[in-house]
Amino acid sequence: MKPERVKDLFKDWRVLTLIALLILSVVAIYPHFDNNGNFTTNLQYGLDLQQGAWLQLEFQSEVVAYTTDEPVSTFVANLSKSLDADVEVVDASHLEIRKYYTQAELEPYFETNGGTIISYQQGVSKDTAADIKSILENKINSMGTKDAKVNTLTGMNNVVRYVRVEMAGVDMNEAQQIVGKQGKFEIRIQSTGNQTEHVLYGDAITSVQTPSKTTQGEWGVGFTLSEEGAQAFREAAIKYGATTDPNNHQLAMILDNKTVYSAPLSSDLASSLLSEPTRSMTASTGTGTAAMQQATALEIHLRAGALPVDVKIAGSGSTSASLGAHYMTMCMIAFILALITVGFVIFYRYREPRIVLPMVLINASEIVILLGFISAIQFQMDLPTIAGLIAVVGTGIDQLVVITDEILHEGIVPSPNVYLKRLARALTIIMIAAATVIIAMLPLALMDLSTLKGFAIITIMGVIVGVLVTRPAYGKIIMDILSE
Amino acid sequence: MGLFSYNIEKYSPKQLVIIPLVLLAISLVVLAYVTVSVGMPVKPGIDFSGGTAVTVITPDTSDELRAEFAGYPLVSISEGLNNGKFIEFSAMDDTQYQSLTALISAKYPDARVDQIGESFGKTLQDQALIAIILAFIGMAIVVFVSFRTFIPSCAVVLSAFADMVMTAAMMNVIGIPLSLGTTAALLMLIGYSVDSDILLTTRVLKRQGKLNDKLSGAFHTGIIMTSTTLAAVAVLLVVSWLGQVQVVEEISAVLLIGLVFDILNTWLTNVGILKWYVTKGGGK
Repeated sequence: MKPERVKDLFKDWRVLTLIALLILSVVAIYPHFDNNGNFTTNLQYGLDLQQGAWLQLEFQSEVVAYTTDEPVSTFVANLSKSLDADVEVVDASHLEIRKYYTQAELEPYFETNGGTIISYQQGVSKDTAADIKSILENKINSMGTKDAKVNTLTGMNNVVRYVRVEMAGVDMNEAQQIVGKQGKFEIRIQSTGNQTEHVLYGDAITSVQTPSKTTQGEWGVGFTLSEEGAQAFREAAIKYGATTDPNNHQLAMILDNKTVYSAPLSSDLASSLLSEPTRSMTASTGTGTAAMQQATALEIHLRAGALPVDVKIAGSGSTSASLGAHYMTMCMIAFILALITVGFVIFYRYREPRIVLPMVLINASEIVILLGFISAIQFQMDLPTIAGLIAVVGTGIDQLVVITDEILHEGIVPSPNVYLKRLARALTIIMIAAATVIIAMLPLALMDLSTLKGFAIITIMGVIVGVLVTRPAYGKIIMDILSE
Repeated sequence: MGLFSYNIEKYSPKQLVIIPLVLLAISLVVLAYVTVSVGMPVKPGIDFSGGTAVTVITPDTSDELRAEFAGYPLVSISEGLNNGKFIEFSAMDDTQYQSLTALISAKYPDARVDQIGESFGKTLQDQALIAIILAFIGMAIVVFVSFRTFIPSCAVVLSAFADMVMTAAMMNVIGIPLSLGTTAALLMLIGYSVDSDILLTTRVLKRQGKLNDKLSGAFHTGIIMTSTTLAAVAVLLVVSWLGQVQVVEEISAVLLIGLVFDILNTWLTNVGILKWYVTKGGGK
């Protein structure tokens, strides 16, 4: 190509967009040498390609749509008692029952308490799921710098049935221990000055309610002590003088050696403790939004890392470091070989380096842009995603062939006018094909179908980048080359 | 192009569609038979039926492994090169699974283990089926909206449908299970298969010229499109097979089968119907 033509090429907006995106992508991927002199990038890898373990947990709980003629609070209290389970009100027509029952098992209980089940779904409400997510995240974070992800999988009707925990760098046994581990929770009482004495441990707390607000607008978290716990609590309160002088003998809640809550006994509780032990009490946090947030945090602390509902392992997996590295090598080899092979097929067809070279380069640039996108959204690449990327190489080349053939139709070198008409026609074909791929992948991208979501998103992105950026740029470049 | 010559002019629409129609009928029978016997059109893998898959690189032979895992519900052991082994177990209860993982981590610390519970598998299976159906309907809508002519649109949708049905039947024949990976491959196939059909239909309906010229021009372009993809997928299959990357191996095998059927369905089924439509007076 003549130098001035090359200069013109770099003034075209299609080509400029492509170059800009390529630069941004390389910045996002950020290939560099780390402190040890090893080559590395910002790309993150899923558990297929590095050492790690994942656990998929199923909630042993259900959300039920119901009707009742009874007042809601009485109905819920009675139901909770007869089922021996926590029952939470989700909204006007839905209850969350935090113990596993089948629909058939539940129906007689609803009937005797004066209600009817309209629909039944295993899982928890969105709010509970968010709580569980933060409990799990807190727990994993307290274990140090493990690279972990916790995702709840929301199904239809906003009921969450599964939560998926992925941890890099651990094996299956470690993963199970971390998820199953409970924190050390203790209640201590101020004796003299800054001295405190042990009252009880977390095992004495039998249940924890969700935060609630009194009619005065005061937030708090209710909890229940075991019989022995209530006895120990009363004895300590009397022995250290909390019943007579509450303000100088505050009660502190400590989780893993950190004080998470501290307050004096209320006057009501102090006087009732003098006569008998109390099993259920409320830790209040005051009024306002800050108090509400504190109450939410306190609920999690009171549970000491225990989840509000039981979970069952629905699926799990782990990859060792050596197999992860092996898969990575294989993918690299497959990737490079695929590009080279496609290049050969194209060369066999056109026998013209001036066409083949831009095609392969455009194809490679699509991959670079996609990798940049993957880095930017911090998506973890796994094996299906890599298969998707290689598929993008295949479709990408297809579309470039459509453009080239459309333009070369009936002899070579069309006039600019005819050229533009043909390019438009080629782009129509490409648009329709792209639309079908996007539509076909959309259900997968929107559903929480485990690992396939990423694959679908990457494929859709690949198609969009191709249609909007790389293929129009190719059209411009190939025109300039052919009209030599 | 010299790979092979294909003279579309020679055959009548009826001759063109007869082979794929017979194949489609046979495939539907295969799928119906499998549905009756296992409850799904394609035999589900552990992703959907529940179970445990173990990938390990070990010099131990299959027989030694069989003896090692005698106490567990072993389903199959497949071997790759470089001592790679892929072992499958059917669903088991929690205690048995824990003892299995303990055994594996003691004996083969470098193994990769994947386990899916039965109820979770069932959820995945339902969602995957919905995804495939929605994707297919979505594709059909795009095609109809794009061409706005009934018979050519039907021809494209029918070819895509035949691609999927034949591929699914072939999966049963050679024993590739339906898993998350192969579901993704089938979905990708929807996109691939309409590619060449759209090229063909656009060329025939929207371009001026003699029908047979347009058909052979479209074939010229279409076959190179499919062969580039075939080449990329074939490389993927060979590398993943040699390297025992089970997921990728299954995905690329399904794509390869699907692309071969796509050649058949585009250049026989779709061309046949389109030729009949144009000679009957449709199109320009």
